[in-house]
Amino acid sequence: MSTTVPATTTELLQRLQRLLRWRLWIREKIQLTEWQVTLLWAALAGFLGAMASMIFSVLAEGVHEFMTGRTSGVVESMRQLPWWGCLLVPTLGGAAAGLVLLYGSRLTRSESSTDYMEAIVIGNGRVPVRASLVKTTAALFSIGSGGSIGREGPMVQLSSVVASLVGRWRNFTGPQLRLLVACGASAGIASAYNAPIAGSFFVAEIILGSIAMESLGPLAVSAVVATLTIRVLTAAQVLYKVPPFQLNSPWEMGPYVLLGLLAGGLAPVFLRSLKQSEEFFISLRLPLVARLALGGLLVGVIAINVPEVCGNGYTVVVDILNGRLLWTVLLGIFACKWLATMSSFGSGAPGGVFTPSLFMGASLGYLFGIGVHRIWPAAAVDPGAFALVGMGAFLSAASRAPVMAVIMLFEMTLSYDIILPLMLCNVIAYYTAKGVAGESLYSASLRRKAAAEPAATLAAARVSDLMRADPSTIPPDAHFAEIASKFLSVRVNNLYVCEADGKFLGAVSLHDIKPYLGQLDLAELVIARDIMREDFPRIGPDQSLSEALGRFLGLTAERLPVVGPDTGRLMGSLAKGDLLLALVEKRRKPAA
Amino acid sequence: MLDLAANSRETAICTLHAALAKSPAVKDAPQFLHGLLERAMLAPVCIAADVALPHARTDAVERVVIGVARVAAPGVGFDAEHPAVRLIFMVGTPKQQVEEYLLTVAAITRTLKAPGVHDGLLAAKSEAEFTALLARGAKR
Repeated sequence: MSTTVPATTTELLQRLQRLLRWRLWIREKIQLTEWQVTLLWAALAGFLGAMASMIFSVLAEGVHEFMTGRTSGVVESMRQLPWWGCLLVPTLGGAAAGLVLLYGSRLTRSESSTDYMEAIVIGNGRVPVRASLVKTTAALFSIGSGGSIGREGPMVQLSSVVASLVGRWRNFTGPQLRLLVACGASAGIASAYNAPIAGSFFVAEIILGSIAMESLGPLAVSAVVATLTIRVLTAAQVLYKVPPFQLNSPWEMGPYVLLGLLAGGLAPVFLRSLKQSEEFFISLRLPLVARLALGGLLVGVIAINVPEVCGNGYTVVVDILNGRLLWTVLLGIFACKWLATMSSFGSGAPGGVFTPSLFMGASLGYLFGIGVHRIWPAAAVDPGAFALVGMGAFLSAASRAPVMAVIMLFEMTLSYDIILPLMLCNVIAYYTAKGVAGESLYSASLRRKAAAEPAATLAAARVSDLMRADPSTIPPDAHFAEIASKFLSVRVNNLYVCEADGKFLGAVSLHDIKPYLGQLDLAELVIARDIMREDFPRIGPDQSLSEALGRFLGLTAERLPVVGPDTGRLMGSLAKGDLLLALVEKRRKPAA
Repeated sequence: MLDLAANSRETAICTLHAALAKSPAVKDAPQFLHGLLERAMLAPVCIAADVALPHARTDAVERVVIGVARVAAPGVGFDAEHPAVRLIFMVGTPKQQVEEYLLTVAAITRTLKAPGVHDGLLAAKSEAEFTALLARGAKR
């Protein structure tokens, strides 16, 4: 019997089929699912996020050195400066930050909000690059000049922007892009605090409002890669080195309960004071540059006598935890730091209040511990332990994320002995704060933004919003060899068969043709129409996500074709991964 | 069916189809024929210079049906590249049974590749000999 296939074509087909068989073997053995690919992107976001965070840290230190002429820490530098230097540096830093924001706004008029949380929760995952860079540059001046503000905010922002850029470059869909930006944020937190678990839970608990594995897995991978990167490149160690604490007596739990109530009551007051300070500065109707300079000047005035108010409060927290501060001194620093943070935050200095919150909690806990120790020594043997627990409790109450707060405290100190009072205190502080005021450190702005843009979340409830354009198609008369070649070039398990005008006819499954790849005779005989499945499930662009999920139930396919109900034309495809992410997002509410 | 007389692809298909349509598995003979002709017009159905495999995946059959015929010499033209087809294997498969369709087509091509089968089928003197050769090829 002679074959109708020419020899060269035969060789080509044989090579093609060998390649396809290899590819199938590899896919069967080490097949990367869409979720695994997502994890790889999350790892990249983690690495880039860590690099971005490190660059920001180096630049902030550079600005600080330039403005103060000193390479020591912020508090130490301010302590060494003359009184006029203490006034001048934060004032100039505020003015410089204001100038950057003022002139930067001209470059970013067309861009939307820079908030990475907004981009994740209610936006499309596109964090504006120029606006973010302007804000981050301004933060370099406010932080480098000793503003009473945290650097973790800009680091997370920068990390999120990089992740958003990667996702946009790869044309990620909305849910994918939002998840990648969330991974960037997770990497930013993990980099800033050397705390990968807390970084994941920060984003999961506060921003996503869900610890579903669909989102938590990529967040964890991103945070781990970011932390590893930081550890390898900077030899970073545990953030707060603390002496060993222990629960000396069960009676100590009583004061810890009181501390939880106290932290839960004080955190909302602290947040409200920041908000009122913001309103006060706005009511002054000063130009932006003057407003930020005034905020810096107020910090400088306080710093003349209490330089500990400068920066994010990290060094003071270390001193508190190690019992190196007298309670009378700490009481003064506590009050002054509160005022300084109100000045910096209220004037609009870009930065975060996460670390300042840790300072407030540590101070509160230590002062409370000292008080209890004076009255009942057996119930508070070591006030430093109360400082540690106070940090977690205050953070839990301010962020409304008790799980993250417990984990973060544990990761930042690696002190497990204190876990029982820490857990109890955090939960009590959380419920107390929730009862006192409904707003957290982050929920207020998110709720305002969500109310302003309700359409964004509602729009995501349709298949068309998650649809990926340009799925892989073949014509009905495509030969077996052509089909095999197509399966080689694209990473799909089903090829959609469409007429020239785009009308959807069915799908050819890789699973069906796999056993016959070695049959050269089929190469020219079998065409797509012969082996397509006309009953392949499909979905309409206007159908709800719940309906789409119903279609996926009992189906092994990772994607469904989206077909116009009137035209019958293929419009795109819906990935199961995108759908699950969107459903997780739809289920959540802005963090309370 | 041996030494089928046909002067065109359509005649050959119609004649073999008429015989196959007697099978109780064929529910709708006209629809089955329509499917066969439509497929033959869409793309070549030959697997060798003198072997054609007209086939259809159609709801007109309940299960896989196969009809085999040898065309009288010099054969019938199926298309420009196959002017003298001598062996015709007609296959009808239910629409849902993609895997069965591929299995059947692959089995036929393998059978024809078995040593002596192709030439034996062309030289067979009776239907019994023809069928026995097919069975032998299939076993291999």
